[in-house]
Amino acid sequence: MKHVIPKTYKEALEHLSEGTYKVLAGGTDLMVKNRSWSETPARFKQDMLYIHNLDELRYVEDKGDHLAIGALTDYETLLRHEAVPKVLKDCLIEIAGPAIRKVGTLAGNIGNASPAADGVLLLYLLDAQLVIERKGARREALIDDVITGPGKTTLSNEEMIKEIRLPKSTFTKTQFLKVGGRKADAISKVAFAGAVRIEDGIVKDLRMAIGAVNVTVVRLREVEKLHTGETISAVQDSIVSIKNAYVPHIKPIDDQRSNRVYRKRVAFNMIEDFIMNMHIQD
Amino acid sequence: MKTKKDISESIRKVDSEEKISGRAPYTSDISVEGMLYAKTVRSPIARGVIKNVKLPDMPEGYYTVDASDIPSRNVVSMIYEDWPVFAEKEVNFIGEPIMLIVGPDKETVMNLADNVEIDYEEKNPVFDFSNSGVRLHFDKGDVVNAFERAAKTIEYEYETGYQEQAYIEPQGFVGYIEDGGYTLVGSIQCPYYVKNAVMDTMGEDEDKVRVIQAPVGGAFGGKEEFPSVTACQLAVALKKIQKPIKFIYEREEDMETTTKRHPSKTKMEAALDEHNNIIGMRSRIGLDGGAYIGLSGVVLSRGMLAVTNAYTIDNLDVHGDVFLTNTVPNGAFRGFGAPQMIFAIEMFIHHIAKDIGEDPYVFRKRHMVKQGDKTSTSGTFRDPIILDDMIQKAVEISNYHDKAKAYEDRDTYKGIGMSWFLHGCGFTGSGESDIIKANVKLRKDDEDNVHILVAAVDMGQGPKTTFRKLVADILDVPIEQVTFNYPDTRYVPDSGPTVASRTMMVVGGLLARAAKTLKEDWKEGEEQTVVKQYEQPDYVEWDQDTMRGDAYPAYSWGVNVVEVEVSKVTYEVTVTNAWSIYDLGKAIDERIVMGQADGGQAQGIAYGYLEVMNHENGKLKQKNMTDYIIPTSVDVPKMENHIMDNPYPLGPYGAKGVGELTLVGGAPAVALAIEQAIGRKVRKIPATPESIMELIDNG
Ligand SMILES: Cc1cc2nc3c(=O)[nH]c(=O)nc-3n(C[C@H](O)[C@H](O)[C@H](O)COP(=O)(O)OP(=O)(O)OC[C@H]3O[C@@H](n4cnc5c(N)ncnc54)[C@H](O)[C@@H]3O)c2cc1C
Repeated sequence: MKHVIPKTYKEALEHLSEGTYKVLAGGTDLMVKNRSWSETPARFKQDMLYIHNLDELRYVEDKGDHLAIGALTDYETLLRHEAVPKVLKDCLIEIAGPAIRKVGTLAGNIGNASPAADGVLLLYLLDAQLVIERKGARREALIDDVITGPGKTTLSNEEMIKEIRLPKSTFTKTQFLKVGGRKADAISKVAFAGAVRIEDGIVKDLRMAIGAVNVTVVRLREVEKLHTGETISAVQDSIVSIKNAYVPHIKPIDDQRSNRVYRKRVAFNMIEDFIMNMHIQD
Repeated sequence: MKTKKDISESIRKVDSEEKISGRAPYTSDISVEGMLYAKTVRSPIARGVIKNVKLPDMPEGYYTVDASDIPSRNVVSMIYEDWPVFAEKEVNFIGEPIMLIVGPDKETVMNLADNVEIDYEEKNPVFDFSNSGVRLHFDKGDVVNAFERAAKTIEYEYETGYQEQAYIEPQGFVGYIEDGGYTLVGSIQCPYYVKNAVMDTMGEDEDKVRVIQAPVGGAFGGKEEFPSVTACQLAVALKKIQKPIKFIYEREEDMETTTKRHPSKTKMEAALDEHNNIIGMRSRIGLDGGAYIGLSGVVLSRGMLAVTNAYTIDNLDVHGDVFLTNTVPNGAFRGFGAPQMIFAIEMFIHHIAKDIGEDPYVFRKRHMVKQGDKTSTSGTFRDPIILDDMIQKAVEISNYHDKAKAYEDRDTYKGIGMSWFLHGCGFTGSGESDIIKANVKLRKDDEDNVHILVAAVDMGQGPKTTFRKLVADILDVPIEQVTFNYPDTRYVPDSGPTVASRTMMVVGGLLARAAKTLKEDWKEGEEQTVVKQYEQPDYVEWDQDTMRGDAYPAYSWGVNVVEVEVSKVTYEVTVTNAWSIYDLGKAIDERIVMGQADGGQAQGIAYGYLEVMNHENGKLKQKNMTDYIIPTSVDVPKMENHIMDNPYPLGPYGAKGVGELTLVGGAPAVALAIEQAIGRKVRKIPATPESIMELIDNG
């Protein structure tokens, strides 16, 4: 088995084009998944490409219409950066603890593609575009089109995420509600992110994303669009039909952390709570 | 003239620096030249018979160690002898040890262990409460008559779940051969339990087994009897291989296969007279013992003795069973049966009051114990009880009555709960004098340095500091002149296990007597040794067969108040405040006691609402620190804790038990607060958001 530490991003892409590697960024998912007896090496099942020292992928840049986040930017850096939207920070501060946040990355959160991933939930909410590259080629894709199921993405073996782009948007109210087993350092049983822009009593932009209730994050853009342009009270009066629209998509599971009945109920409670309070400023 | 400081005045903990700096050599830090590593091969099934074992090709220098290598008996000697060192023919729980693979390279050892093929004939496992392994009973007064003349009877059932100790470092030993004998250094609570068990399994004499305590980062009962299992396995391996061996569990392995707090089911039935006074109570408690009994009978007994908690009920009938199931054996855990029972009785008393439409506070106060009352086992509460003053203080600092009234408004989704409770100090009944027979030794060298020689273990709770402080204070010498090293059975007498909140009261009490003798007889520059042995207070009378008499020489007391808020959207509980008052006689060091108060409550409250563990067909579902949720500092509320002095005549400076007391009242206090917040009776802990949702839906 090979363990490769490329010196440059270019070199990393070259390795990816030549072999079948697993990319390791912060390693906070991979090291845990491949854990082994103490004092023995991790039990990786394939060749490894360690990209942690590629500083060229560590940046946060304000590009006017969007924020560009280099793939290796850790959570702690994002939390401290003034251009990072508040609702994303509200989420990041609830991911893991300080030590993990110092090395964990959004790209890793995407690559791991857990239905309970918190960062991914916010990337759905914020319409994140991913810049994905392989040797000699680049593509851009909406987050929804990259994650396809638990642990599954459309990334090919040769590709890696280079950058995450967050289009700029203004909201009058945002909400991140994570239900973990405790108040810090817990994996979500179910999570919700919502954002709304209300102007003169009219809902101009409405977004809701729900995590850990299906194989991928649930975000129903059609439903959101349907109510865009309506008055606050019109939207709130439609709460029953809004909730009904989500019914086929909220299909959580039973596991060691919670059960489906609870997850389902709380998901709908959170939708309702957000809609009914969307006009109340924090 | 300098006046002597009050003993409670805090000093710096003597081992803080070595622990904070990372210098303290925990078991995993120990390395011995030529050391091999041991890994356990375990049963993947809950119940079956071993048909065939096929080993992988064993490279030179790699060994297997199993039941056939045991020189004497294949049983771990503890209170009840049914727990094998290695499974031989039958396996009775998932994770049961069958053999060790031992060798120099860890990766090779691990791969070998993964490639041992074992065929089983599977049998139907038992998971329900049907197969009783221990049955106990006691009564008081005439319960039949009480129920006959009752104006009303009320019955409820209560359930509690597993709790995992979650100590800092997992189970482990390093062992080596020394002068033809076995030396084991490990993370343990009871050096002599380990020594006796190893002697028994190995058929060796006392001088062939030496047990040394390494620094311990927490144990909570989890290192009381369990280390005897791994120590016996390691000793068998040492005999076969004759080389030093390191044997340390991984966290997940530890959580899946070592003892935990017993899940329980308790049924309580009360007889009330026409004035709504409880005149009798029947109670039946069942503990899930897991696959082997081990200590479970003693845990059951302590639980049963706490059946009436801090209430006086004249007529009682109390039954208890330890049920054997094909799950990991359960065992000692801070509180030892009492947390389950105190949860049940505190809830029960409230539920009775609510059912008869009386203010629970008034109802409880009317039934509260007073000095001179008879205990649940017809012994006598001899010493002064200051519970009334303690409750008064708790009510004041928490503003209990106003809040309890305000939160009756359900829309607040807030609640406040108050538990009050006692904890028997030391071993049950005549255990100290019949079984333990504690010995302590003080040795003064010719430079007048005094050495404390006891087998009590500092596992974070402070005796390394408090014993030295106590002895120095009595001798009137600086604390630096008194030493207390990690116990080594080669040098220290058997002062008993570090359990049952007995360390300061019993072992400290003996040390105080020894120090007084030494002081009276002090000869400067001369070697002197003083030995003291436990003597039962003559008033204590106990009949083990009928479980009648004074179950404990003394009781510590506590009051916990907990305030919560429940989310209407997610049903999550936020513990917003906690207050507590304790009577532990006299604090030998106030800060150390406060540390116990903080930690004990965090653990006790979390037991009531946060810590979830359950199994599916014998396999634990929450087996690592990701899935088994213990509170973080963000979850723990602001706490205000107080001690009220009530010196016990036979304790050193009046000290009684501390360690367990601070845990046992947490669960009912938080459960009562949740009960008020949601307006539903809580009968099962942990009261998780999932169960709170169900309660709100279905009552
Ligand atoms: C104690 C603890 C607590 C945690 N708490 C949370 C939590 O609260 N919420 C949460 O969502 N997660 C949590 N996690 C999971 C983890 O920290 C996050 O998923 C983190 O974002 C992973 O980032 P990483 O850089 O460490 O990923 P890595 O482990 O390095 O990689 C994860 C996956 O992403 C792939 N990958 C990494 N970088 C790239 C790239 N540039 N291009 C393509 N693929 C890539 C890897 O190949 C791998 O498949 C926790 C983990 C731990 C250990």
